[in-house]
Amino acid sequence: MDFYFGLAQLIGVHTLLGLSAYIVLLTGQVSLAQAGFFAVGAYAAGMLTVLAGWHLVPALGASALCGGALACAVGFPALRVKGLMLVIATLAFGEGVRLFFFNFDYQIAKGELKVGPVGGEGFRQIRFFPENGWETWEVMLFIWVFVAGAMALLWWFDRSRYGAVLRAVGEDELAAQSVGINLTAVKVSAMTVGGAIAGVGGGLYAHYTTHIEHASFNILLATFAIAYPIVGGLRSVYGTLLAVIFVQGILVEGLRFMGDWRNLLFGALIVLAMNLRPSGILGKGRHA
Amino acid sequence: MNRIAFAISVALAVGVAHAQDKTIKIAGFGAKSGPVRSFGVNSEAALVAAADVINKGGGVKLADGSKAKIAIEFYDDRCNAEEGISVIRRIAGTDALVAVGPTCSNVAEPLFGILQKKVDDASDSGLQFPVFTDVAIKVGLAKISQWAFRNVPNEMTMYNSLFYWLRTQYPGLKTVYGGVEEDFAHSRATWYIVMKDRAAASGFEVVGNTKWLLADTNFATQVREMKKANADIVAISAHPFSACGALKEMARQGVKPKVLVGLTSSSSMETLQGCAKQAEGMIIPTSFAPINKQAVAAAKTTANFKGAADLHSMAAWENVFILKQVMESERISGKPGDVQADRRKIRDGLAKLKTTDGLIGVTKRDAEGEADKPYLFVQAKKGEWKVLHNPL
Repeated sequence: MDFYFGLAQLIGVHTLLGLSAYIVLLTGQVSLAQAGFFAVGAYAAGMLTVLAGWHLVPALGASALCGGALACAVGFPALRVKGLMLVIATLAFGEGVRLFFFNFDYQIAKGELKVGPVGGEGFRQIRFFPENGWETWEVMLFIWVFVAGAMALLWWFDRSRYGAVLRAVGEDELAAQSVGINLTAVKVSAMTVGGAIAGVGGGLYAHYTTHIEHASFNILLATFAIAYPIVGGLRSVYGTLLAVIFVQGILVEGLRFMGDWRNLLFGALIVLAMNLRPSGILGKGRHA
Repeated sequence: MNRIAFAISVALAVGVAHAQDKTIKIAGFGAKSGPVRSFGVNSEAALVAAADVINKGGGVKLADGSKAKIAIEFYDDRCNAEEGISVIRRIAGTDALVAVGPTCSNVAEPLFGILQKKVDDASDSGLQFPVFTDVAIKVGLAKISQWAFRNVPNEMTMYNSLFYWLRTQYPGLKTVYGGVEEDFAHSRATWYIVMKDRAAASGFEVVGNTKWLLADTNFATQVREMKKANADIVAISAHPFSACGALKEMARQGVKPKVLVGLTSSSSMETLQGCAKQAEGMIIPTSFAPINKQAVAAAKTTANFKGAADLHSMAAWENVFILKQVMESERISGKPGDVQADRRKIRDGLAKLKTTDGLIGVTKRDAEGEADKPYLFVQAKKGEWKVLHNPL
């Protein structure tokens, strides 16, 4: 069962990453910065548990704050541009964060060992879970508490005035602005919430893998982040979860036995899924 | 009466068949897709080939005196840390007694991290599963967990010896310049921790280095920097794919160092298939070359299973034979109910080893689970790796 619990952990972490992009996509913005916020959360939580000896829960709180604050700071200048320009701006930010960690050294002596991030070598021994005797199923439940919390928050947003405002901006910015909606406030707030969720996801990811390095937070991860809500559909928060299960559970793990063919099928099945459900798994059907 | 006799004979026949069908499962895993897929393909071929040789010889002797065949199951982790963790959890959920892998150091590092750090530490809930690495070569990884063991060459010793040898052979050479594949854990660590340090220790002046990425296809700027440095020795710490790109650009720009040094992992067929002409003269320390009968036979048998013999794949070959020896000395039962106990016996057996027999000589093993393998220097000559010097 440990394998399935481990897979559920991974699906949980990726769901948080996807949800961080989901709320930004609701405002009609395509952000490739989510991998950057995820990285910041991962390094922040890892450093707090390993170097400062914090418990993971407050460390994840700090990750959320770091991710959210950085997203807010990035949001103001970045969201002044639209469409492809925003994609490029957020991509540049994500790469900037990755390169920062590529050159980031901060080690302290802990007993006989030196611990902490070492640039391109990465940051190893982020072992809060095993060192505290957590079983695989307990880690899975822990991660899913955060996933459920993030999904509940976004579900509630969707049913509140705030959610309606987000979707209004996403549908037609001009119309939304004409009825008095402050576009900058809406977009930056969505970016901030997304950054905080990505920060938590990154913190959990660091403790799931026990080792992080700059290459883990590359453009591919940023692409996955926006692919999940797009493949799942923006109609409901559950779409992102289904897309993560589809990609990580079926395409990556389920097809592992197919060897080299897996990579070919991976792309083909996503193209097929998007053709059959152009608005996503939980979006409107092809002829709707 | 006839019915009873028939029933007994059927039961005996089933029993005999069952005894003959005993298998010990060894799981292999590594990159079988992506830019470094050849490593996984070659490792799998070597594992299957070694198991085939052992099985033809009767198999592995179990505690009850019976023999079991070795079955190899190989999993692709795409050189991805997340997938590597999933794969090892999946393997641990099967009846495999031990895993051989992974290919990439960026997979080995997190994967060793999820293993129990110290054996019998009840407060550590890490995975208790023995992993015996064949390829991932970045220095100092086995100390992450007492369940992790490696049969990879010690690059610190090898490059120390190589630069010392170059110093004595070519006393007129003074300077070294590095070309580094910066985004790959192994190549990066080998330049910054090993080559650069060892070159300086042998009295060379390291005049700089240039960087590129695994997926880069344009090396013009980097080679221009290299040309400007005009060093006597150029050390390329890169895997065959980008190393060939850099070597071709060096040829185009007319950069001809007096000595060209390569990364251990580049002493493979991929380099010769990709850029034999440009790699001509390149010197690399390696832990495998077909220099004796058993090494030649291992390479030939692996080729029958569509794999190429190099320092990595032949480590996988050696691992299977070492595991056979450990399984027999530790008297594993091979029974389905004893899987975890047998895994523990294998771990303990691997931890006890002080030396192991390898294809080109005896390998020393340290308390951290690392190997100190015999090595030699090979040089690319007319599309082949020729032994240049055997320092041992």
